[in-house]
Formats: sequence, structure tokens, C-alpha cells
Amino acid sequence: MKYETVIGLEVHVEMATKTKLFCACSAQFGAAANENVCPACAGMPGMPAVTNKKAVEFAIAAALVTNSNITPTMSFDKKNYFYPDLPTGYQITQLFAPICRDGWVEIETAEGAKKITLKQIHIEEDAGKLVHDNRIGASLVDFNRASVPLVEIVSNPDFRTAEEVVAYLEELRLLLSFAGISDCKMQEGSMRCDVNISVRKIGDTKLGVRTEIKNMNSLKAISAAIAYESQRHMDALETGEETLVQETRRWDDAVGETLSMREKEAAADYRYFPNPEIMPVEIDADWIEVVRQGLPEPAQDKFVRLTQELGLSEYDSSIITGSKNLSDIFDGALKHFGRPKEVANWIIVELLSIAKGDNKGEGDIEIDCEKLAKVMQLVDDKIINRAMGKKLLGLVWKEGIDPAKYVEENQLGMVSDTSLIDSTIQTVLAEQTKSVNEYKDGNKKAINFLVGQVMKKLAGKGDPNMVNGLLVKYLEDM
Amino acid sequence: MDHYTVFLEDSIMQKDTLVTAGSKMLENFVSPFDATVVKRLSESQFSLAGRVIMDEFGIPSLIFEGNEPLGAVKAVADGTASHALCNDLFGKYRKQATENGCCYIHPTYGTVSRFGLIPLASSMDQIGVVCKNLHDGFALLSQIAGKDPRDGAMFPEESYNYAPTSKNIRIGIPKFVNIETIENFAKNFQTIDIELAHFEAYKQVMYILSCAEISNNISRYDGVKFGHRATSFRGLDDLYIKTRSEGFGADVKLTAIMGTMMLSQKQYAPYYEKAMKIRRLIKESLKFDTYDIIAMPCKISDDPYENLALYALPTLAGLPAVSFAHKGCGIQLIANTKCESALLSAWEVCMA
Amino acid sequence: MMRIEDYADMAKIALTEDEKKSFSAQVNILTESFDILKSIDTESVKALVTVLDIKNVFRDDVAAKTVPRETLLANAPEQYGGYFQVPKTL
Repeated sequence: MKYETVIGLEVHVEMATKTKLFCACSAQFGAAANENVCPACAGMPGMPAVTNKKAVEFAIAAALVTNSNITPTMSFDKKNYFYPDLPTGYQITQLFAPICRDGWVEIETAEGAKKITLKQIHIEEDAGKLVHDNRIGASLVDFNRASVPLVEIVSNPDFRTAEEVVAYLEELRLLLSFAGISDCKMQEGSMRCDVNISVRKIGDTKLGVRTEIKNMNSLKAISAAIAYESQRHMDALETGEETLVQETRRWDDAVGETLSMREKEAAADYRYFPNPEIMPVEIDADWIEVVRQGLPEPAQDKFVRLTQELGLSEYDSSIITGSKNLSDIFDGALKHFGRPKEVANWIIVELLSIAKGDNKGEGDIEIDCEKLAKVMQLVDDKIINRAMGKKLLGLVWKEGIDPAKYVEENQLGMVSDTSLIDSTIQTVLAEQTKSVNEYKDGNKKAINFLVGQVMKKLAGKGDPNMVNGLLVKYLEDM
Repeated sequence: MDHYTVFLEDSIMQKDTLVTAGSKMLENFVSPFDATVVKRLSESQFSLAGRVIMDEFGIPSLIFEGNEPLGAVKAVADGTASHALCNDLFGKYRKQATENGCCYIHPTYGTVSRFGLIPLASSMDQIGVVCKNLHDGFALLSQIAGKDPRDGAMFPEESYNYAPTSKNIRIGIPKFVNIETIENFAKNFQTIDIELAHFEAYKQVMYILSCAEISNNISRYDGVKFGHRATSFRGLDDLYIKTRSEGFGADVKLTAIMGTMMLSQKQYAPYYEKAMKIRRLIKESLKFDTYDIIAMPCKISDDPYENLALYALPTLAGLPAVSFAHKGCGIQLIANTKCESALLSAWEVCMA
Repeated sequence: MMRIEDYADMAKIALTEDEKKSFSAQVNILTESFDILKSIDTESVKALVTVLDIKNVFRDDVAAKTVPRETLLANAPEQYGGYFQVPKTL
């Protein structure tokens, strides 16, 4: 191969604070348009910015989990540009003294472990959201997201392939979500990234012309965009038919192409200057230590604990610790039902398949852990069978039912009356002579059909193992 | 105390009230909230009596001052109000107060909340008091000063005591001052001649830093969220340009353009950053261990830009200052941070 | 060399011919007066951003609703369904 692709990333991560960076509005995702907005984040004059302490602490945590050097005294700056989603006409960010510099994140690649080095992480406020309404031919502005606190994690151009980029983003997601800094949901925009890409001849030390693909929010799109853009660069270098210019581009997912955003170069003077209304923030060793002590267990440590102390398989552990949300559900359920292997099994086998049916990923699952544990308990106590348990879990998921109450009210407990089970089996054996004969002829699998028939007559409330055992006994005696 | 009636400059927010900052840009802006000073006054014996017009956003012309006093000065001068609150960035209130039989108190930066004050230059903005005499002025100030959690750039003190202290006050008189102009005042005190480092650059530093900060603070006026919007436009950029070109008057436009220039990539280091550095030299060269108060006249020229040098020091160094007329001469006194009491003492001495 | 119109552009202000003339004159006077800054040695001087020597001023992360949406939108020049409306940006 003649060329190599050089990629750097700017990853924006919304921090999981309750309120915005500089005002007390809720930072919750999903509210009605402009519901979480006050005069300050609507850009009205006369509202001084007062920094959210929790946001600074999350950013310190981000510095810690990325092995960065924390700036002893950091400060905020103003970046000037006009756009409807920017209520004040300036964004409060950090240019001169960002929270930290020179960190690194280790990723696994086909060639082994690789360190991705970070230039810096800075804190800044998010912009609002624009909705384009074709019916009225206008754009509509929602400031709910305006001033929600972000950390922007700026890497050096250390990536050579899309696979490395994806591995890095997944590692960042794990590091940040397990530290409680962000839920890192790309589809909700709480983790987004700008991809800087250039192509050069292998062996060259100088970087080629760099283009920036803005606002990417899915791993699939990022891979596709990198593939497209690096090919475009290579073609340009190879054929000379297109001249590459340093510019900002956007990814059109439907077409599968990057498109120039045609920004005027002159417009790129952001007139940064230090923000005089926000006092600098001194971060001393004591404060860093307090944040460090408060950090939750990282995914890697948890994986080790799950496999070594709780006896889970590496496969189960990797799934549970591959998502902060699943990991929280695991912990929550384990508190009420103390058998780790079964909890993991229920989550991985049943819960994930229910969620998948609703098009929800690991990160989006919302379930009452106590109810999940209760379902497991009911099955374990042989009050219901596993199939009924799965059905109940589906109802917990959809309607939030109370499992124990639901079982009682709908009389879903397993039939314990052995004479009823006996008589049901005899009825089925009398009715299903074909299957009985098949079994007798040596097709042992025919028993499954018979078990199903008995369960059906018992309205799903039998214990399938017990029914199976009894059937074998009867058939062998016949 | 029931004769106290306070007027507000039109840059101070009052809930459900039209707040225009003297600009067409905010001609229809109804404030959804009260400024902290308004809230504090409403809980005091001072009653809010009205609002007064102002230079657009508080930015005076650099060329021509005009004869008509500003609304806040006029209201106090003619007795309509006992006090008026305003943000005197460029010294016009300080000067005009002394010319119209009033006094002006510019409190220490960071002692009066700016929550609800339409910002001009955030590193300098400070609500001050136009009053008839400094006793009344400080009585009002003591009601509004003190830490507000909604303003992040404030000293931690919850309240301030402005009672006069020592009458033994040492007055420093800068070399540039023609002593004859303030002779009658100075003879009441022990005086020393002082040098103000880089006085020759005061007005430039003041102008560069303020116009840059102003250009930033007025970026929010774009016809999207509130205030004036051009009636006809083609597309977003045209909406911005027409709205701002129509909504801002000449002095604001010039300030915005100069400020934009000062912050631009090329000019930042030679102008903006340089001015911030000289600002430090100015502040750190002051020697309040050898004098208690710096005294100077309120006017040295008919050129507003030249006079800016006189008002720059309290603004640039965040220092408390008072101005008043003494035997026909406008005097400005400047004290060290949070040493308002010395200013009141000096005023009492010379008025005795 | 940037002209006054270029800075006006950045500030989203259009100047009339008269304004261009009068502003250019004033800008020239001002920038000439700024020459004096060059004579002041600021080598190794740290920029002064704020006169306050205060650090770590924070708010606790507690949400509060201050103004209802209707009040907030009441000042909007153009609104639609709870949004601020602007010309199409795409």
C-alpha cells in the first residue's frame, strides 16, 4: 500500500450533571422544546455565568481516567461566532488554560495494544438544537441543550485506521461511562465526534491536506465516512483530478458521501479572549484526590472481579462490563437476588432479547432491578417456570408490573396438585397416540411434543422438568 | 427616610417592565426578571420611583458630549429622584454629576451584584449611585452591596460598613494635575505628589479593553430571541446584518467594530493582550501604603476621549471612587479596594 | 490588510457610505493613539483578566426552574410551536 491515512479526533461528551454549566436549568435530555431554558441560556443580557461545581469535578474525573496532566489553575474563555443555536453569540470554552493536557488512552488493535495520545481536554458549553421544518420553510431553535456541560477530548493524529478509531471511541465510552461522567449515548448526541483526516505517502513525515468531518454520531457512520474520505483523498493524490482543500465537511448517511460545508475561511476568526466574569479554578492535589477516591469501579477492574470473585465466565463478564448500564442493572439485581451467574444469565439471555425486540441497545435498557430480581426469585422458588418468568419480565419491561402481585392475581403459580398433573398426562397420552407410538418406536424426541401438550392443558403453569420426568415414567411403563 | 426615591438607568432589569438600555435593539424587550439591586431595594426603605433614559447601552460619543445631562443626573439634579443607579463605565456620569450639583459613587468592583445589569464590559461593569450628598449615597449603597450567589465575580463579604473612619487622610496628587484646579480642595489635607505609571496610556487601555468586551457582550442582539428584528431580510446572514445595522446607533456600531478588530487574530496580541498587560502594570504600580486617596479633577479637556484618562483608573483597577463639586471644581477621589470609608471621610473633611 | 468593512462584516454590521467615512476617520485617530502602547515594556508581564483575586466560585448542581416557557418566548420576534423561529439554515 502506497498511502496511509492519518486521523485525529475531537470527541464531545455531555457530562451527566443535573443542571447546565452556567445556570440552574435542568440538563435532562428529552424535555419539550425550550422547556429547560431560562433567561441566561436564552442569551438574555444581565445573567452572569456561575460555574457548576459538579461539571468541574466530572472533568477532573475525565482527566484522571485518561491519564492527563491537570492544569493547576484553569480558566474559561469566550469564543465568538454568530449562529442561531448559540444564544449569546459566544461560546464559553477553554483555550488558554484547559482543564488538562497530554493524556493517553490505550486501545487493542490487530497488532496489539496501542497508546492514543491526547492533546488536551477542555470544558465547554453545548449549543442548542436546530430543527428544520420544511412545511413552514424555516429553522426552529430549541435551547434545551444550550449550555449543557461538555468535555471535548482532543486527540493527536495518532489513528491510522477506522478500526482504531472505533476501538478508541468504545474505550472512551467505557472509561467515561464507568466513571459516571456521561452516559455516552451516541444516538442521543451525548457523545459526538469530529474526525480530522488526511492522507500521505507512507514514509512522509509531513501531513497531507486535512479535512474535518463534523458532528458524527454513530460508529457505523464514522467508519463509513473515514473509508469514503480517505479514498477521496487518495484518488485526488493519485489522479490529480480534484484539488484537496482544508475544509469542513459533513457526512450524508443516506448518500454515503462527505459534502463540503463551504464555510468562508474569513469567518473562522473566533476572536477568543479570556472570560473576565468567571473566576479561575484552582485544582489542588487534595481536590484531585477526593475525586479520585470517589471514582466508581472501572470496567476492567469489574471484569476481573466478576470472573475471579463471582465466578462468571469471561464471556458473560465481558458483556456485563461492556456497558455501564448493564453493569448497573447487574449490580442492582444482584443486591436482591444473590446468585451472580443466574443474574448474568437472565440479563444476557432474557433481558437483552426483550430489549432487542424493542430496538433498544444495552445503553437504553431501563428496568426496575428489584422487579427483575423478583422474577428470578419466583422461578428459583419454583413458584413459576422459566417460560412464565420470561413472560413476566416482558410485562415488567412493558408495563412495569409487580411480578409477585401479578402472579398471585392471575393465578400463574405452577400447578402443585400432582393428581391434576397425573390426570392431564393420561389425557394427553390417550389423545396423542401418534406421538406415543413414535416414542415407542425409538424417536425419543417425540416426548417434547407431549410435554408441550401437557403444558398447554396446564395453561403454561406446569413445571416442564417435572412433566417431562413423569411422561418418561408413564411411557416406559406402557 | 420616606423621601428617598430611587430611579434606575434603563440598563437595570425590572420584572415585567420595558428595559431598553436606550437602544432600538431592545425597544420592545420586557424583562422576565428583577435585577438583584432591584430586589434588594424593594426590601429596603428606598422606593423605586421610575426609570431614566441613557446613552445607547451606556456608550457615549467619543467626539461630542452634548449639553443635555444624562437622565440619571437630571432626575437627581432637579429633585425628581433622591438617587439614581447606573453603570458608569466611561465616566460621563462622574463628570456630569459634579457639573449638576450631584455626587457619584463608583463602588469597588465586585461589591454590588451585576445580576440583572445589561452588561457592557464585564471586567469593569459596576453599578454606581448618583446622589445629592455622599451620606445619602452610601446609605443606599449599604442596602444593595454585598455578595450575591448569582454573580460569580464578587467579593465574599455579605455586607459593607461605609461609616467614615480616620480624618487623617493623606492625599496623593498625580503629577499631570494642574494643582490650581484642585487647590481649594487639597489645602484641607496632607498631600504628596505622586506619579501614576503609564498615565499616558490610560485612555487607550481603557478604550481597547472596553470596546472589545462590549463587542462580545452585544453579540447576543441578533434578532433571534428577543428585541428588534429587521422586517425584511433574505436568509439568516441578512437577518443578522439588517437587524444589527438597524438596531444599533452609530456609537455602538463603532464600538462593536473597534472591539471586533481588537479581538481579531492579528490584533489580539499587539492591542488586546498588550492592553491587559498594561492594565496589570497600572494596577500594581499604585502605592496605597504611601497615600490613602488619589485626587484629580473631573475634566481636563473638552474632548471626551481625553477625559477618559481621568475615569479609567477606578474602572481599570476596580477601585472605589467618588466625584463631587467642591467650590466650583469637579473633584474625583479614588481609594484602595473596599476603602470607601476613606472617601466618605475625605468628603466630610472638605465639606465641613 | 483588513479594512474597516471586514471587521464590520465579522460583527454582522453593514455600513453606509457615510458611516464608512466617519468611522474610518475615527478608527484612524484611535489606532494612531494606540501607538503609545508599543513604548511600554510588557515583557514577562502577565495579562490582567479581572481585578478580582478570587478563585473557585461555584454553584451546586441543583436544578431550578426560573421562568415559564411562555414568558421566555414572549420576547421572541418570531416563534412556532414552542421554538424560536429563524430563516432556514440548511
